[in-house]
Amino acid sequence: MSPIIMCIDMDAFFASVEQQVNPKLRGKPIAVIGSGGRTVITTRSYEARAFGVKTGMNTYEAKKLCPDLILVVGDNEKYAHTCSELSIIYRKYTPDIEIYSIDEAFLDITTTQHLFGGPEAIGFSIKKEVKDQFGINCTVGIAPNILMAKLASDIAKPDGLKWIKPEDNETLLEDLPVKDLWGIGSATAEKLEQLGIRTCGELGKAPASLLRNKFGIIGETLKHMGQGLCDRLLTVREEDPKSIGHSMTLPIDISDREAIKAELLKLSSMVCSRARKYGFVGKKITLTVRYSDFVTFTKQVTLQVPSNSTHEIYHNVSDILASIRLVDKVRLIGVSLSQLMPENDDQMDLFATDAKTKSVLKAVDSLNDKFGDSTITWASYLKTTESPSVISPAWKPSGVRNTNIKN
Amino acid sequence: MRIGDDITVLAVFGMPFHIKPLSFTWSGRTIEIREVTYTWKTKEGQKDLHHFSVTDGNTLYELTFDAVSLLWTIESLEA
Repeated sequence: MSPIIMCIDMDAFFASVEQQVNPKLRGKPIAVIGSGGRTVITTRSYEARAFGVKTGMNTYEAKKLCPDLILVVGDNEKYAHTCSELSIIYRKYTPDIEIYSIDEAFLDITTTQHLFGGPEAIGFSIKKEVKDQFGINCTVGIAPNILMAKLASDIAKPDGLKWIKPEDNETLLEDLPVKDLWGIGSATAEKLEQLGIRTCGELGKAPASLLRNKFGIIGETLKHMGQGLCDRLLTVREEDPKSIGHSMTLPIDISDREAIKAELLKLSSMVCSRARKYGFVGKKITLTVRYSDFVTFTKQVTLQVPSNSTHEIYHNVSDILASIRLVDKVRLIGVSLSQLMPENDDQMDLFATDAKTKSVLKAVDSLNDKFGDSTITWASYLKTTESPSVISPAWKPSGVRNTNIKN
Repeated sequence: MRIGDDITVLAVFGMPFHIKPLSFTWSGRTIEIREVTYTWKTKEGQKDLHHFSVTDGNTLYELTFDAVSLLWTIESLEA
């Protein structure tokens, strides 16, 4: 039986939710922006797209293109809840789903589609349920693999449904620009153009040796992509994370080291409480710093004994900061813990203080679990700013990548 | 405008976990809900908070129902 994969992509997700929430925004050009002082467009309605408003633009540029553009501050809690509810709808049709991002999911319906009247019937049912429950539209792409399912949904947007069957591949891909394929970015497209390859048809027919010479081991994969082939399976079960990290764009760029350290404590606490919640300890601690001009760098330290203790991670990350000569104001900072391994509760503590610290952290975690984040926290938090949270691209409705979303 | 006042709400509780507010009384004034435009849920510790974006046709309100204390709150309004 050949695989049948479905890609479900919400149409202008954040903007559609906001238009559904507020009837006065329906049918109007709107753009969703972050809740901090920084005003970059995270998504925009189809009415705004018609004016050329794009994701990533600042509001000044966007308003120049569309003077009537309505700016709406995004509400991450609504989007995260909607994503979780969408996954419940998908699971009615198959247990094999991959929530790829907050507004995109892949479903493997190979073995269940016959129970619901076939792939198109499932697609239309899901579209109807999403519309009935949330009032928003989605587009469904169906194909034998995720690459072509994604392409099908891109072609059918907005509010469409398209099924690409294996026999349609050649005709569809012949004149399709390579950059329209999922996974081929502008840099790769540019390199392909240097080889005289502009369309998927040309890519699929290009000699593998030519592509290997230019791109190394992914050369062959690119050739297969040009033929509409893809062997990536859905990630149905969440793999153990390679790292646990949090970063934040500060409301304003800062250079005061004490202020940065206060934010580092907050980030260390978030990282460690998530590591403890899911039973991980890590050996490598990484500090990420982004300056005002977007120049970004990381610096790491490796612990002798893996840890998930907030104190230990914070002190190490503070030491890293102390070793850096800051050359500009800081825009973003991040802390992550990697080289993760399962925490072994039975391991004997060498020092009694470690055991005491563990007990305190356990008590703090359990109180915060019961009464909400930061019910018990460090007094130094009082020095920190209320940074708006941003949904990480890796956010998932469940598991270790499910971080608490706050506006 | 952020508010945070407790309110009295007339609502239909159906299954499964379906809550539909019909009207609410705030500062002695009863407001009929014409449309529940969106609903979502958040957690505060182990407490479930149900949020409702509702309109009377002119103004948009956000109401919250605390499933532990069974209290309703008006969070905000936007004329």
